[in-house]
Amino acid sequence: MSTELIKVTINGKDFEVPKGARLIDVCREKGFDIPSFCYYSDLALQASCRMCLVRIEKMPKLQTSCTIICTDGMIVTTQSEEIEKAQRGMTEFLLANHPLDCPVCDRGGECELQEMTFDWGGLEERFTEKKNYYAERYLSPMVANDPQRCILCKRCTRVCDEWMGEDAIEAGGRGAHTVIGTYLGWLDCSQCGNCIEVCPTGTLLDATYRHQTRPWELAQSITTCNFCSDGCQMSLGSRGGEVRRSVARDRYVNGINGEFLCVKGRFGHPFINHEARIRTPMIRYKKGGKLIPATWDDAIRHVAERLDAVAEEHGRNAVGVVGSPRLTNEALHVLYKFTTELVGTQNYTTTDAFSLRSFFGHLGGPLATHRDIRYANTIVLIGGDPSELQPLTGKQIRQAVRNGSSTLVLVNSVPIRLREQAKIFLHIRPMTEDAIAFALFDRSADSLAAQKAGVEENAIAAARQAIADSTGDVVVMFGGELTATAQAVLAQLSQKFATRDRRILFHPLPLFNNSIGAHDMGMMEAPTSPRGMLNAAGNGIRALYVAGSFLPEQLEGHEDALSKLDFLVVQELFETETTAAADVVLPAASYAEQDGTFTNNDGLVQRVRQSIPALHQSKPDWVIVSQLAKELGMDFGYEMSASAVFREISETVPAYSGMRYPLLKDETNPVQAKYQVTERADVSSELSVLRECVEKLPNTGDKVMVTPDVGTELFKIGTLTDKVAQFHLLANGNPRPETTAVSPLYQIGRQNADFQLPIANLKNETSASELVD
Amino acid sequence: MRIEAIGCEPLQLRRVHLENSRTLDVYRRNGGYEALKKVLDGMSPDDVINEVKKSALRGRGGAGFPTGMKWSFVPKDSPKPKYVVCNADESEPGTFKDRYLMERDPHMLIEGMLIAAYSLNSQTGYIYTRGEYKYLIDIMDVALEEARAAGLVGKNILGTNFGCEIHTHTGAGAYICGEETALLSSLEGLRGHPRMKPPFPAVSGLYAAPTVVNNVETLTAVPDIIKMGGEAYQKLGTEKSGGTKLWSVSGHVNSPGVYELPMGYDDMEKFIMEDCGGILDGKKLKAVIPGGSSVYIMRADQIIGKDVRMDYEGLVAAGSSVGSGGFIVMDETVDIFESTKNLTEFYKHESCGWCTPCREGTDWLVKVFKRIENGGGRIEDAQLMLDLCDNIEGKSFCPLGDAASWPIQSAIKRFPEDFIHRLRRLNVD
Amino acid sequence: MSTQIVNIQPLSQPVDLGVEPATFSPEVEAEIDRHLAKYPVARSAILPLMFIVQRERGYLDPPGVLYLANRLKLRVTDIWEVATFYSMINTAPVGKYHIQICKTLSCRIRGAGKVTEYCSQKLGIKVGETTADGRFTLSEVECLGSCGTAPMFQLNFDYHENLTPEKIDQILDKLP
Repeated sequence: MSTELIKVTINGKDFEVPKGARLIDVCREKGFDIPSFCYYSDLALQASCRMCLVRIEKMPKLQTSCTIICTDGMIVTTQSEEIEKAQRGMTEFLLANHPLDCPVCDRGGECELQEMTFDWGGLEERFTEKKNYYAERYLSPMVANDPQRCILCKRCTRVCDEWMGEDAIEAGGRGAHTVIGTYLGWLDCSQCGNCIEVCPTGTLLDATYRHQTRPWELAQSITTCNFCSDGCQMSLGSRGGEVRRSVARDRYVNGINGEFLCVKGRFGHPFINHEARIRTPMIRYKKGGKLIPATWDDAIRHVAERLDAVAEEHGRNAVGVVGSPRLTNEALHVLYKFTTELVGTQNYTTTDAFSLRSFFGHLGGPLATHRDIRYANTIVLIGGDPSELQPLTGKQIRQAVRNGSSTLVLVNSVPIRLREQAKIFLHIRPMTEDAIAFALFDRSADSLAAQKAGVEENAIAAARQAIADSTGDVVVMFGGELTATAQAVLAQLSQKFATRDRRILFHPLPLFNNSIGAHDMGMMEAPTSPRGMLNAAGNGIRALYVAGSFLPEQLEGHEDALSKLDFLVVQELFETETTAAADVVLPAASYAEQDGTFTNNDGLVQRVRQSIPALHQSKPDWVIVSQLAKELGMDFGYEMSASAVFREISETVPAYSGMRYPLLKDETNPVQAKYQVTERADVSSELSVLRECVEKLPNTGDKVMVTPDVGTELFKIGTLTDKVAQFHLLANGNPRPETTAVSPLYQIGRQNADFQLPIANLKNETSASELVD
Repeated sequence: MRIEAIGCEPLQLRRVHLENSRTLDVYRRNGGYEALKKVLDGMSPDDVINEVKKSALRGRGGAGFPTGMKWSFVPKDSPKPKYVVCNADESEPGTFKDRYLMERDPHMLIEGMLIAAYSLNSQTGYIYTRGEYKYLIDIMDVALEEARAAGLVGKNILGTNFGCEIHTHTGAGAYICGEETALLSSLEGLRGHPRMKPPFPAVSGLYAAPTVVNNVETLTAVPDIIKMGGEAYQKLGTEKSGGTKLWSVSGHVNSPGVYELPMGYDDMEKFIMEDCGGILDGKKLKAVIPGGSSVYIMRADQIIGKDVRMDYEGLVAAGSSVGSGGFIVMDETVDIFESTKNLTEFYKHESCGWCTPCREGTDWLVKVFKRIENGGGRIEDAQLMLDLCDNIEGKSFCPLGDAASWPIQSAIKRFPEDFIHRLRRLNVD
Repeated sequence: MSTQIVNIQPLSQPVDLGVEPATFSPEVEAEIDRHLAKYPVARSAILPLMFIVQRERGYLDPPGVLYLANRLKLRVTDIWEVATFYSMINTAPVGKYHIQICKTLSCRIRGAGKVTEYCSQKLGIKVGETTADGRFTLSEVECLGSCGTAPMFQLNFDYHENLTPEKIDQILDKLP
């Protein structure tokens, strides 16, 4: 928008507004409330609900303020008898066929239609005819639907098209018989549930939370999602010590993601209160014996004694410490302190899928925020698959291309779904990402890269040219396919392309909610890797302290590594393959039961807030480690508050200097860590190593020709998603149940013997026939 | 059924009764493609637009927008391709003139489109025809093939640098697609929802490129405008409504059909009682909807002895509108309550559902009509219906909302007797 | 930029239909190609193609919908949302002969009601129904642009105007 100001008169008062501003936004900003349903920021304009009508002088009819761009001298009336009549009229029309379901509708109390009616509607009900009837149904395990309540604002269809690029839910039919749905009535989409979130009425509802509680009975607290590295802000709704739902609705929270969440963020929360949570510390007194519940004091003492013994006998380096990229910064910091100051070992890491140490070590420009991505001029995405692994990033890319005319340059060995938005797509051979990173930096490598990656030379040149032609921000994103050397070179792309008018911003794509934090807290500093740790188990490493668990792919091929250890301590939420081999298991509290921070892939440090009391005897990870440290003779001195730990972080981690919890308390104004940027680092040695590596790549190879199905990664069953019954349905192909009138969960057991649902989450197991008349 | 000109020499209906009138041969032997030749021989695109402006030709589909002005809105310096789209979605109840133009004289439409395309620097034209008129699409395709073979459509027309390809396109049963932006949505393969104006199609239309959408009858007037000159065409009619208009007459008349009248024909009573053969079975005239269902219904006493001139201004002065010229005549046997209910059902069925007032309002109104018809009428229903219409009119996204309100508003106000007796009387009026 | 994209599996579909896409003869495919050639954007051909698929398969069934989605590079929901908007596209089976009686004003006041009654009686079905043998479907539709020759109906794509009971008998009894 331009900075030029023009004059607009609203209800008799003069205002100066930026030229090009939208009238509805201007009126609302200036305190003149205007009702609307279909108008939604950054979504395609509709002007279909007709609630936002205003009178503009010299225009013959009432105009929808959402479509009017202010012009100089415009005279607007937003409050008058005719406008009030129109507003009452539109509300009356919307309520005509709308069933009076408020007493049984999940949305009651949070419903925009209710609120709009209170504020703008008439007092009389004149509609005495028969309302159009549609049966309630389920569109998927996650989405319940009552079509009769629909006011056809089309927020759901626009969100599915524009945010997700999936076009799964659409409007069918015509006129008063238009119904939101999908062909054949069953949704096989990514189940993000954004359609539910943006729906202003109770038409689309969270099927996993259906009929459980009323919104005013819930305590809502704002926190950061604990799944992927995008760090969406969400509001957990809890009641009676149990988390019931996770929403991003703008009346509760307004973070970087707006009302966006993905299937895991929105529906993955049942693990928090799951009955399989480890309840007490447990000790396996004899190898091959059972884990026996113990008190915290006993367990801590036992751990301290045994770790001491191993360190005595085999040296400090024989004790390895493994953190998890899911832990809070506070937990990782205390773990790091424990590892380096107390244990003094050089063998530590986290169970993250790949390391970004080399990237951060050669960082040549700032990290992009998600807002930067939306407004970027060019986006270069090498490897990764944000649609599946960092869905918020995927959404920002799609909107940047659609609304911001951004150019997407896609480099991937798999034709991921984002190719639909890509202007340039380099479809490379698998494991040749390094070659492209090399060529982007060094144009003399074009023909080498083209040969190894199996693409045209001029295509690589075109990709590079797209960066060079950009005016505005260029965001460089990359996944775990790049080696450390390639990361270093890519991180210095800024020295080649950054100018005063063109910023080169970076957006690494690690997998977990605090992968970045794990790096920042130092837990990725050591050259050890998880596989390296397992390889050395029984030899160089005799004891492991694991906060979290090894990933299944890390344990592959090392199944008996853990059993070779003399001593294994695991802090975890649930029993895993790692705890199965543990000598001591300590119950950790989940992210919903503690305060802390996560750092996302923008480098934004965002608050995690306690929503419910810690379950059973679990404790926050940092408290456990502090207690162990104290037992081992080092008092970390925290006054049992996470903010005290964070203060220490801000004093020891340069990128976090000056941060305090009060500074982080507003999720609408996130704070970015101040990473060290070296604008012109010498990467000549990395370049020659990279050249050698690329030259060693084969000259032939088949390409992957199939786009992975939606949900290939999103629906994967992991420790946390395993505890959500609906994920098992999704992971098993989302079979269409016999009838969509009843929740699919209640029907699956009867029709599909191929997989067993973990029934712990089913409140009542009832047969379908009992529920449908 | 009659097809003839009254009060003027047939212009658009000149060839409709000739044997093999559809063929290129007959068309050419009766003045066809001469206008095209005249244009390509020495007129510039601006010359063409000026002639059309002088002709005072107004859109014949119903909106009545001055055609020359519409064409002049197309930006000449736009690098995008330009499109000429013929709106042959004729679905306005009571209107059937375009059908016979396409059935009997398809080449006239082709020639009109070619001239329009030339004036707009367009190389592609589409004839969006309603799906029910499939046989006309077939006729049009044959005519286009003939024209192509004769070098009249395609590249290097008549050996000049001007090239234009014309394609037929089928609709599939949606009245809303007669609205120009909804037509463009449909032509792009989307649901037929109207679009926001501005931007107007002339600036951003089909595939976001400059597009002119004109009714069949508008385009078929163009060759004659070129041949006789804009001024001469205008003089056939009145100052603000130039040329001739086709009126589709149906209902309780002895001679329904398509009539070509000069604009400003004097007068409507004569037209009904003499030219159209008077009322069937000697009954009395009760009501007329002169311009397609979307215009105000007229009482007989607004026509008889009132000297209603049949042009845009004349009809407005008489309390209605030219619209599409769908002239429906109703005699004393018609219950206006029922006829209005019939039309309201039409609008409800055809409402695209995009905006709240039209979608919910037409549905509600139909339900009220049904309730009253079944004996559940209440005295307040008249006011309720008027109020619902008032909440739809002017508030909807496109003119279909207005079109749905006007028949009801005018019927209740002008034929209260047909409504009142169905509404329970709580006290004696 | 990479030519290999042509071979990559078509768009991900948000609905798993569990059917194979319909196949058509080379002549029909050529007809479809001719329609596609008329437009710079493939999607514009959706209505002409829907009529062809409807003609070949009786109605727009799931294999037909999947065929269209693949051919036009759209999602099945895009096909569905367009198909359900238009009155003439049938997403459910119709009889071999679809009698569409115009019910709008001009036909109405010239006896359309009687035409409907007569057809309904003759065929033994109500409006909206199909005869048990699947031969006839009876519908009422809106103005067909034949007001001057009212009352009338459209049988599949053919107009039959100025109807009387005798004429109706003539038309329907003659059908193969």
